[in-house]
Amino acid sequence: MTQSQAEQTLTANHADPRTPILEAVGLRKYFPVRGGKLFGPRPVVHAVEETSFALYPGRALALVGESGSGKTTVARMLARLYQPTAGTLLYRGEPAKSESRSALLAYRRHVQMIFQDPFSSLNSNHNVHYTLGRPLRLHGHARNRRKEREQILALLNTVSLSPAEQFIEKYPHQLSGGQRQRVAIARALATRPEVLLADEPVSMLDVSIRLDVLNLLLDLKDQERLAFLFITHDIASARYFAEETLVMYAGQTVEGGPSDEVIQRPRHPYTQLLISAAPDPNRTQETSFQARGDIPSLITPPTGCRFHPRCPHAMPVCRERFPGRTSFGAGHWTHCFLYGEGVSASDAAATQTATLSPADRK
Amino acid sequence: MSNGAFGAAAQPLLEIKHVSVDYRAENGTVHALTDISLTLERGQILGLAGESGSGKSTLGYAITRLLKPPAEIISGEALYYPRSSRQGTLNGGSPAPVAVDVFKLTPGQLRTLRWKELAIVFQSAMNALNPVIDIEAQITDVLRTHQPGLSGRAQRARAAELLRLVGIAPDRLHSFPHELSGGMRQRAIIAIALALGPELIIMDEPTTALDVVVQREILMQLIGLRNDLGFSVIFITHDLSLLLELADKVAIMYAGRVVELATREELKQHPRHPYSYGMLNSFPTIHGERRRMVGIPGAPPDLRAVPSGCSFHPRCPLAFAPCDRVIPALRQPTPERPDLAVACHRYDPALSAVPPPTDEEFAASYAAAYQAEREGKGV
Repeated sequence: MTQSQAEQTLTANHADPRTPILEAVGLRKYFPVRGGKLFGPRPVVHAVEETSFALYPGRALALVGESGSGKTTVARMLARLYQPTAGTLLYRGEPAKSESRSALLAYRRHVQMIFQDPFSSLNSNHNVHYTLGRPLRLHGHARNRRKEREQILALLNTVSLSPAEQFIEKYPHQLSGGQRQRVAIARALATRPEVLLADEPVSMLDVSIRLDVLNLLLDLKDQERLAFLFITHDIASARYFAEETLVMYAGQTVEGGPSDEVIQRPRHPYTQLLISAAPDPNRTQETSFQARGDIPSLITPPTGCRFHPRCPHAMPVCRERFPGRTSFGAGHWTHCFLYGEGVSASDAAATQTATLSPADRK
Repeated sequence: MSNGAFGAAAQPLLEIKHVSVDYRAENGTVHALTDISLTLERGQILGLAGESGSGKSTLGYAITRLLKPPAEIISGEALYYPRSSRQGTLNGGSPAPVAVDVFKLTPGQLRTLRWKELAIVFQSAMNALNPVIDIEAQITDVLRTHQPGLSGRAQRARAAELLRLVGIAPDRLHSFPHELSGGMRQRAIIAIALALGPELIIMDEPTTALDVVVQREILMQLIGLRNDLGFSVIFITHDLSLLLELADKVAIMYAGRVVELATREELKQHPRHPYSYGMLNSFPTIHGERRRMVGIPGAPPDLRAVPSGCSFHPRCPLAFAPCDRVIPALRQPTPERPDLAVACHRYDPALSAVPPPTDEEFAASYAAAYQAEREGKGV
């Protein structure tokens, strides 16, 4: 896909064509692994294929998929912890290329990451003051100790850790999981970023605290106009948090668009499977549910559409190549041969009626 | 607590009565479980829901007598009712259907109880399987120990049958754990739990480490097996929405106590305890209107310093005068439903002048508490 196509599909539904802050164009990541034949090609893990999207201020994009779908790899490429195998990152329209330390530092001032596990993402040897003071000093936001303390207190208030004076001297082991994650969020905010990459930010927290932290992130999105990449395996929280949703399977992006569209009217069989598997209190035990097989190996992934071995609608063509993009309007698209590509129109219509959405199936 | 709703035909399999468990730590005693009473009927799936530190796993471990010091069962009994055909081994050959108190069994009696009568599936399948032994050997190991009369051929045939039962092709019998996916490992663990046809399987977060699709597959399979084989399940999880699909009866736990006991339908339609209501409304949903949701303010208590009175009162938007002084007992919320119980002063006419809270009152009070918290902290 070309860059202009990516822009077009992702901005189509915005009345106000704001410019994206961060844009991923055709990102791809292969990890070399050991083994393989002596003189043969070195085997690689095909972690992410051809992924394009854009992040806008005050908006969130949810990346949904199971473990091994490549969502974290995408976030790490965006954080520039991994160098993409192919594709470009555009920060405010400029390619983020330079590998120099100062360029990376400048980039990371704008793009920060929140990790899943607040028990391992905070250094247990340092108290909150140190953890939050360091990014403030490194990025030149605090010139002296008094300013630094003021800003730390302000950050703690922003993440609702009050009274801030009490929290500033605490060590991670003195904090609960929710409080630690708030400190981790405060640390990400310390550089005054424009983009936050949140990798499953609430899945390690206690159930009654998750919503609180999610609401805090929503407030930051709305009030600070932060652009969010929100990674989750829980499709319901994707809908709750993000305006747009992108579904990944085994490294391929299979469906995307406005969250409500994607989740209420899923087109790709994998999205439909994911939604039918999600816990839903309104469902009864009798609901039919079909999943076939496991997530494939990414060293020798299935050819064509990687979902075809598990797909109830798989056709011969699915094995041959990855389908092109079909758009349904309002920014909703999918990569699936069921919707036209590669089959005749009448076939497509027939299979479409056979593919019931989970809502109809109930 | 009563089991009246399930009719006179319903027989109890396990009756937990007034169980308390303490952890004796250097810096004081932690009351992990306080006065828990629950009844599990034959063939029933009982869900235990709660957050970390609520005592749900401790209860599962207590029933199986797997607790190790510093944990100690302080009081109570766990009455297990074996099927009459199996009585002999556990109660010394007495013909009458007599309950066995699991807490009083000798190590020898415990051996005959475990696996044959009662099996447990732990959260992390990866750690429960031996990495250097193939799957077949791990299943036949159980059979060899508990059914020594069985021939090697019969043991291997049973192993293959068990794998088929949980949806693994028997050609994986000679696979090692690292060759199986997480979902398959968890299925193998369930197969081992089923090996001797137990009456009761305790499952401690059996699917938490798995992906949603795999989780759903295993749960559907579990329901199918329960329907075919008729065992009972105690399903321990923090994910209340799973229990609303799966369990016949749900016990909500908070800070070492059961705060609400209800059938799945009742809990879904009309949660009675403020904590249950808050938990049920903490999950974003797939369907319905997309709106800002309100969580439960605050955090679960530190068990070393449990709040006085009702331990939920500092977080409860409906807390009133007696809540911080008097510990509420489990009581029937309405006379016509003896199968339900809730531990909240709002259901006690002697303490509360106003009628029990409605859903509207819950929603309004949680929203107000959330608003107050936001303004207080100035997000």
